[in-house]
Amino acid sequence: MTAQRILAARPAYQFGEAAMGLAFVLPIVVIMGGLVFMPLVTTVIDSFYRVDPMRAGEPFIGLRNYTDLMTDSNVQASWMNTFAYVVMAVVLETAGGLGAALLLNNIRRGRQWLLAATVLPWCLPPVVNAIVWMWIYNPSYGVLNHALISLGLLDAPRVWFNDRGTALFLVTLVHVWRMMPLTAIILLAALQSVPKELYEAAKLDGAGALKSFRLVTLPLISGGLAIALSQSTVFAFNLFDEAWIMGGSGLDTRSVIIQVYMSAFQNLRFSYGMALSLLAMIASLIVSMIYVLRVYRETRLD
Amino acid sequence: MSARTINSRFLLAGKVVGVLALLFWSVGPIYWALATSLTRPADLVSKAPRFWPEHVTFEHYARLFGAESVSQGNTVQSVWPQFSAALLNSILTSLAATVLTVAIAAFGAYAFVRLRFPGRNLVFVLVVATMAIPAYTVMIPLYRLMIMMGLIDTYVGITLIYVSAFLPLALWLMRTVYQAMPLSLEEAAWLDGAGRIYTLLRIVMPLAAPGLIAAAILTFLNAWGQFIVPLVFSPTLATKPLTVLIPEFVTRNYVDYGLMNAAGILAIVPPIILVIFLNRYLVSGLMAGAQK
Repeated sequence: MTAQRILAARPAYQFGEAAMGLAFVLPIVVIMGGLVFMPLVTTVIDSFYRVDPMRAGEPFIGLRNYTDLMTDSNVQASWMNTFAYVVMAVVLETAGGLGAALLLNNIRRGRQWLLAATVLPWCLPPVVNAIVWMWIYNPSYGVLNHALISLGLLDAPRVWFNDRGTALFLVTLVHVWRMMPLTAIILLAALQSVPKELYEAAKLDGAGALKSFRLVTLPLISGGLAIALSQSTVFAFNLFDEAWIMGGSGLDTRSVIIQVYMSAFQNLRFSYGMALSLLAMIASLIVSMIYVLRVYRETRLD
Repeated sequence: MSARTINSRFLLAGKVVGVLALLFWSVGPIYWALATSLTRPADLVSKAPRFWPEHVTFEHYARLFGAESVSQGNTVQSVWPQFSAALLNSILTSLAATVLTVAIAAFGAYAFVRLRFPGRNLVFVLVVATMAIPAYTVMIPLYRLMIMMGLIDTYVGITLIYVSAFLPLALWLMRTVYQAMPLSLEEAAWLDGAGRIYTLLRIVMPLAAPGLIAAAILTFLNAWGQFIVPLVFSPTLATKPLTVLIPEFVTRNYVDYGLMNAAGILAIVPPIILVIFLNRYLVSGLMAGAQK
């Protein structure tokens, strides 16, 4: 390889260049090392100890935090809730995002403005979104009940958050409102990279719109799809703001991250929360890894 | 009519319905928040549904900006002292995080792309890998660290945490920008006798401006909307931002939706301005940030 020959011909690093590079990267190393990597290592180590500001001493307790997590019914409920959030959010964001991306890709006039409107929810503070939607969901004065009653779809106002399934769905919907733009943009970028000639070729071969979507579009945007799927999974796994504002510490809508926050900062069981946050991180990494691998493999066979 | 024209009309109708649905979904809730913030408190709790304010009022905004009001015979204090402090905190921490993040990423990404130094690839891979780690994973040890260093509830502490959280994305973005730039431009400058730093500042960075703007917008929006970090690290109004203050308008007796929606509308003004005027950069940044 030519690169290797060049490297062999001159010294591995030129002093001035290397010094400048290190100087430019030093702030990154200090900040990321001190505020992300060191705490991450501490999280792993401390999860095997009992770190508890209300109790003296920090004894080694092995896997006690992890075994306690397995039997904690609150933790189990929060895992179930997070699982529900992830499944619903990923399905809705992918379906809606793909629809929005296809629409945006097929529009000529006013596309910039429609794109701006589509991106808008992603840009707003999630807390404000949650408050706005909480008012929409309000049982007595909310516009959702008003609208459903005037459309004749509902006889009497409903208290939406009385039912766990409905509550989980409505929190998911707010999250989807915020995150769907990201999926739409990722898929729009993928759609724009599909060569136009391929559609014309498919048309000449007699393929209808649906068939050319399945045989041309889908395989070619699979890379973007994998990224969009893993993004939406990771974000849904880490759902906190919407559920905290709308459901507080209630068990019906409590996500794993809310459970981490409560364990650490309300019940003051630091290492217990750390163990749970590690499990949540590992779970979300594994799930998004599966998407990327599967989508790539399946489309390669096509 | 031939089958083709029927088909294309069908398609057009479908597009129109799609555009209307997308607009309703994206902008509808924001319209509703704006309408609510302009509605009189008495009308908010009326049984008759209204989709626009009957009597436009600015009293919710007036309370945010310093007026006292009377509710159920009691004088309600203005929330201006808290609101103004939180607004200032939001602006200061978001701007500081944006400036620092973009500056560090502008030089750092250049080093990762153009300069050869020991450990270059390792550092880059490690930093970018942290994008997959949720900030919450490291929050508990970070809390103890910040207490130890006396940085809880300080601008320095909050800003540093934001920078550590948003730097990987900015670095990734700036790396793709520098990679797309032809090396010949820089080489031409060196041949003319320009130094590395001069070339970077005078030739490379102006060309990278769209990327820098995109990185700045993404960082600002992320910082502006942050909730869990200040919830833990900003216990008092010394650094508490709007995102943490606004939900606190829920008092024990009742939830003041007019006030909360008015505050929410004010909190979304900066993001809306960015979307309207700089959407091109924002979208290109999101697209570049997502291509892995």
